[in-house]
Amino acid sequence: MTTVARTGSRRYRELNGWFFVGPSIALIGVFMAYPIVKSLWLSLHSGQGSVMKFVGAGNVERLFSDPIFLIALTNTFIFLIVQVPIMIVLALIMASCLNMPNLRFRGILRTAVFLPCVTSLVAYSVLFKSMFSYDGLVNSILLKLGLISEAIPWLSDPFWAKVVVITAITWRWTGYNMIFYLAAMQNIDKSIYEAARIDGISATRRFLSITVPMLKPVILFTTVTSTIGTLQLFDEPMNITNGLISDVTLTLSLYIYKLSFRYVPNFGYAATVSYVIVVLVAILAFVQFYAARERD
Amino acid sequence: MNFTKRTTLSMMAGLVLASTGLMTASAVSAKEVTVWAWDPNFNIAIMKEAGARYTAKHPDVTFKIVDMAKADVEQKLQTQLASGATKSLPDIVLVEDYNAPKYLRSFPGAFEPLSGKIDHGGFAKYKVDLMTVDGKVYGLPFDSGVTGMFYRKDLIEKAGFTEKDMQNITWDRYIEIGKKVEAATGKKMLALDPSDGGMVRVMMQSGGRWYFDKDGKLDVKGNAALKGALEAQAKLFKSGIVKQTSGWVEWVAALNKGDVASITSGVWITGSVKAEKSQSGLWRVAPTPSLGTPGSVNASNLGGSSWYVLAGGKEKAAAIDFLNEVWAKDVDFYQNILDGRGAVGTLTASRGGKAYSAADPFFGGDKVWQSFSDWMAKVPSVNYGMFTGEADAAMASQLPALMQGTPTDKILENIHNQLATQIK
Repeated sequence: MTTVARTGSRRYRELNGWFFVGPSIALIGVFMAYPIVKSLWLSLHSGQGSVMKFVGAGNVERLFSDPIFLIALTNTFIFLIVQVPIMIVLALIMASCLNMPNLRFRGILRTAVFLPCVTSLVAYSVLFKSMFSYDGLVNSILLKLGLISEAIPWLSDPFWAKVVVITAITWRWTGYNMIFYLAAMQNIDKSIYEAARIDGISATRRFLSITVPMLKPVILFTTVTSTIGTLQLFDEPMNITNGLISDVTLTLSLYIYKLSFRYVPNFGYAATVSYVIVVLVAILAFVQFYAARERD
Repeated sequence: MNFTKRTTLSMMAGLVLASTGLMTASAVSAKEVTVWAWDPNFNIAIMKEAGARYTAKHPDVTFKIVDMAKADVEQKLQTQLASGATKSLPDIVLVEDYNAPKYLRSFPGAFEPLSGKIDHGGFAKYKVDLMTVDGKVYGLPFDSGVTGMFYRKDLIEKAGFTEKDMQNITWDRYIEIGKKVEAATGKKMLALDPSDGGMVRVMMQSGGRWYFDKDGKLDVKGNAALKGALEAQAKLFKSGIVKQTSGWVEWVAALNKGDVASITSGVWITGSVKAEKSQSGLWRVAPTPSLGTPGSVNASNLGGSSWYVLAGGKEKAAAIDFLNEVWAKDVDFYQNILDGRGAVGTLTASRGGKAYSAADPFFGGDKVWQSFSDWMAKVPSVNYGMFTGEADAAMASQLPALMQGTPTDKILENIHNQLATQIK
C-alpha cells in the first residue's frame, strides 16, 4: 500500500517536473533542434531557389573544387591565426597593467579600454571605413607626416584591407577579453606574489610564471570564444571593406550570405558551408581543450 | 450567476470579433496595392506619382509604397520566395535588370506573366528581352540605364579641348585627353572604385557581348569585348588619371566637390550630378567612349530596373490594370518623371513628348534627354543570363591582379575557371 502511494507521488512529482521544463523544451525544440535538423537535411540538397533536388554528399564534393570557398576559408584562417593571438596577448598585458594597485585613474582607464565593446558593430565599422577611406583621416595624417608618399588604398588592397579588418576587430574586442582577465586576477591570492617578491623574482617573471598559469582556464575560455567569433566574422568585412563586392576580405559567413542572397540562391550549398563552420569550431575547440588539459 | 457572466462575456467577444470581421469585409472593396522599391528620391517618388494618377481615376484603389534599401528588398524577396511564405509579399516589386532572369528562373510560378495583358511592343526591345522566359513576358520595363559621359566643359577647355573633341571618342583618346586635363588643371579625369566592376560591364556591353552568349552559355575565354574592357580598365588605372574612391558616397562626392573632370555612368546619375547647384552650366554630356574594336559602339547600359507582379498577390488584378493604364500608356506621366526626377523610361512613345526635347540650363541648354534617348536605341542587346551576380564577383575578384599587371588572357582564364565551377 505504502509503496504504491510513494511511487504514485513520485510519478506525480516527476510529471510535475516535466510540466515545469516542458515549455522550455518545446521552445528549444522548435527554435534550436528543428532548425539544426532541417539545415542538415537542406545541406543534402542543391539547386536554384525553390528548384531543389537531393544530391546527398554532392555539396561536400563541390566544396573541394570551389575556388571561392577556398579563398573564404583562407581569409578566415588568416584572420584567426593573426588576430586572436594578438588580441589575447594585448588583453593580458592591458589587464595586468590595469590591475596594478598603485595605478591612478584606474576606473577611468578600465572604462576607456572596455568602451569599444558597447558600440554597435555596424556603427564602428562605418567609422573605420571613413577613417581608412582613400581621402580619410589615416591617409591624410600619414601623408602630412611624410611617412608615405602616396595614399594607401586601405580598403581595396588585398593586404591592407586585411590589416584594417584585423585592426578593427582587435580594437573592438580586446577590452572585452581584458575584463575576463581582470576579474580572474582579483581571485589570485596576493600572498603568492608577495612570496615571489621576497624571493626577488622580477615583474616579468612573476607575470609569466604566476599570472599566466593562474589564468589558464580563463585564457582557454577567451581563446575558444574568440575563435568562434572570428570564424563567424561577418559585420566588419561586410561594412568596412565591401566584402560583398571584392574577395580580399571574404569570410565563410560572408560567403554563406552571398550564396543565399547575392548569387542565384542555393540554400542547400549555403547550409553545407555553414556546417563547415560548425565542424571547424568543434575541431578547434577540441584542440584547444586538449592543449590546455591538466597534465598530472 | 458565474456561468451567465461568462456567456455574456464570450458573446460580447464574439460580437466584437464579428463586427471587426464585417469591417474588414467592407474594407476589401477598397483595394490597397502594396509596392516594394528602393531609393526615395527616384523609384519611390516616381511610384507615388504613378499611384496618385491611378487613384485619381479609380478612387477605390490606393497604394502602399514601402521604401527599403535595395539590398533589403532583394533579401526579403529571395527569403520569402524560398520559404514559400508568400503571404507577406507585395503585389508589385522592383527588380534590377541584372537580377531579373535569376528570380524568374529560380522561383518558377512566383511571378505573374503579363504578356497578353500589357502590350510590350511599345517598350525598348532590350528591356523586354531580358524579362522574357520561355516566350512569356514577365514584368513592366521601367527605367533605362543607358550610359553617357558627363564632363566638365570648363576643365577640358583649360586643357585646350572643345565640346567637339569629346564626341564619339575611344577610351584610348579619353586617356590622352585625361592626361592633358590633369597637366593643365591638376584635376583627375574620372573617379572610380577599384573594386567595382561596373565600368568593365559598361565597356563590355558597348562591345556587344556579355559574360554569357545568346544561349546563356559561358562566354569568357575568347570574349574580345570583355578582354578589351579589362585592358581599357587596366590602362585607365595605369595612366594615373583615375581618382580612386571607395563606395557610392565618396564616388558622388568626387563629382560634386569638383575633384574630377568627367564621369561615365548610367543616365540615373544625372540627378546626383545636378545636385551640386553651383556647377550649373559647367557640365555637358557626350556619348560613352567606345572600345575602338570592330563591332563596338558609343552606347552602353548600366543598371536599370523593372516592375514585377507577384503571382500570389492579393490585389494582382488591380496591380496589373494599374501598370497597364499608367506605366504602359500614360505618355504625360513619363514627361513628368523625366522632368521632375530625371527618369528615362523605356516606353518608346514617351520620347515624342515635350520633356524629352526640353533644354537643360544645367548642361548649358543642351537637350540631354533627347541625346540619351537616341543612345538608348543604340545600346547593344545582350543576354544577362541567370549568373550575372556570380560573373561579376568572379571578374571583380580578378581586378587587383589586373592592376598588378597580370596578362588579360590569364585573367580571362581565371574568371572562366571560377565561373565554370559555380554555374552548375
